[in-house]
Amino acid sequence: MKTVMIEMHEVWLETMMAGFMSSGEKKEQLFDFAAIFFRHFTWLENELIEIGEAYNYDRNMMNVQAERLSDLLHRIIKKLGALDLQLEGSPDRELAHRISSDIRYITGVMMKMKDERVEAFSRALKYPGVALSEEATKAFTRFLFEESYKEYELILIYNYLKAHSDDAYLNRIFQILIDESQFHFKSFGNMMAKMGILSVPRIVMKELYQVEDVVQFLKDGIDEELAAKEECRALSEAVGKDSPELAAFFDFINMQEDYHITLMKDALAHYTKKETDV
Amino acid sequence: MDANAQLIEHMMNPQNYGSMENADAQGIGKNPDNGEKVLIHLKVKEEAGKPVIEDIKFQAIGCSTTVVAGSIITTEAKGTDFDRAEDIVAFTLGMLDRVPPEEAACSEMVAVALKAAMDVYTQRQIDPDYPVISYKIKNSCETTEEVGDNQ
Repeated sequence: MKTVMIEMHEVWLETMMAGFMSSGEKKEQLFDFAAIFFRHFTWLENELIEIGEAYNYDRNMMNVQAERLSDLLHRIIKKLGALDLQLEGSPDRELAHRISSDIRYITGVMMKMKDERVEAFSRALKYPGVALSEEATKAFTRFLFEESYKEYELILIYNYLKAHSDDAYLNRIFQILIDESQFHFKSFGNMMAKMGILSVPRIVMKELYQVEDVVQFLKDGIDEELAAKEECRALSEAVGKDSPELAAFFDFINMQEDYHITLMKDALAHYTKKETDV
Repeated sequence: MDANAQLIEHMMNPQNYGSMENADAQGIGKNPDNGEKVLIHLKVKEEAGKPVIEDIKFQAIGCSTTVVAGSIITTEAKGTDFDRAEDIVAFTLGMLDRVPPEEAACSEMVAVALKAAMDVYTQRQIDPDYPVISYKIKNSCETTEEVGDNQ
């Protein structure tokens, strides 16, 4: 089961990447499929927790570079086929049946998707319709690499915390934070594809999500969110002269961090109260 | 390929990133200021009485500059014997005063992690249970803001 969960983790990321590198109607369809695979990943994780099998979020390093979208889609379809066979050994037959059913439908749709040439790995370092200065391009490029990884890391951290918590109040907060990070990850991934620098985020180290001291993690997290606000402000300033549109987007992301800070403060207060009550 | 293109290449496809099962030694380079760290895993073989880095992997809690440094340094170190790898460490540490502080801290973390892993391997030839070594870096990536006249 552990292998199936790892492979589903990889399929979720690969399908996100396929979404980033594609265009038109199928782009959103691929993001929807990726969201379904992410939920499969959490179902499989929950099963591992229930049967008491140790697991982590390690996976293989993945290079998704492709000249045509079909190159990656064929790889995903092949992996899903193998995964479907592995599900035969799953102890939760109902879950395995549901996932198999999804796999069969999704692979059928993927097989019929219109192929296209991929520009997401061109290393063009040019944002369509925007003439950024060399300095702004460097700042923007660096931001995208840093923050796309960071959002992926946050998705995994909050997902792990949620999987190991039975506190409804906290789980509501963790789910909102996962959803927010999914949106940011999607936004930055699309921008990376447009800049021709799309890449899969690196593997997250266990000690980051297997959090031992949640209170300290939340305190540090609030500081990190404040730093992220500053990063967004600086980037908005760096690109503002060349692109008011990009600047407005980063101001928007900057203000979104306030939600995260509020949620993390709420979670911190809840944890602190729980510890005091005990 | 110019320097910028090489950096982009390492950011898009970091080499030797990940964990390693059955590593012969591991070492850590740590920034005590902010908790960032680099973990290096080594698979070592003995050739003509000298230890040689057969395989090397690294993992990082840090920024993309650390990942680029890890990708470059581990690529250089892979396949070399410990003498050459020590030279790579010395060369990296020797050039730190010529790069911006934040980049110096990242490269130093990788270099001292490699040094720590080699030291662990050497110690394990005497004591197979020798623990993982963690070396702290001297550079800080915290940059101090200049206070302007208008503050």
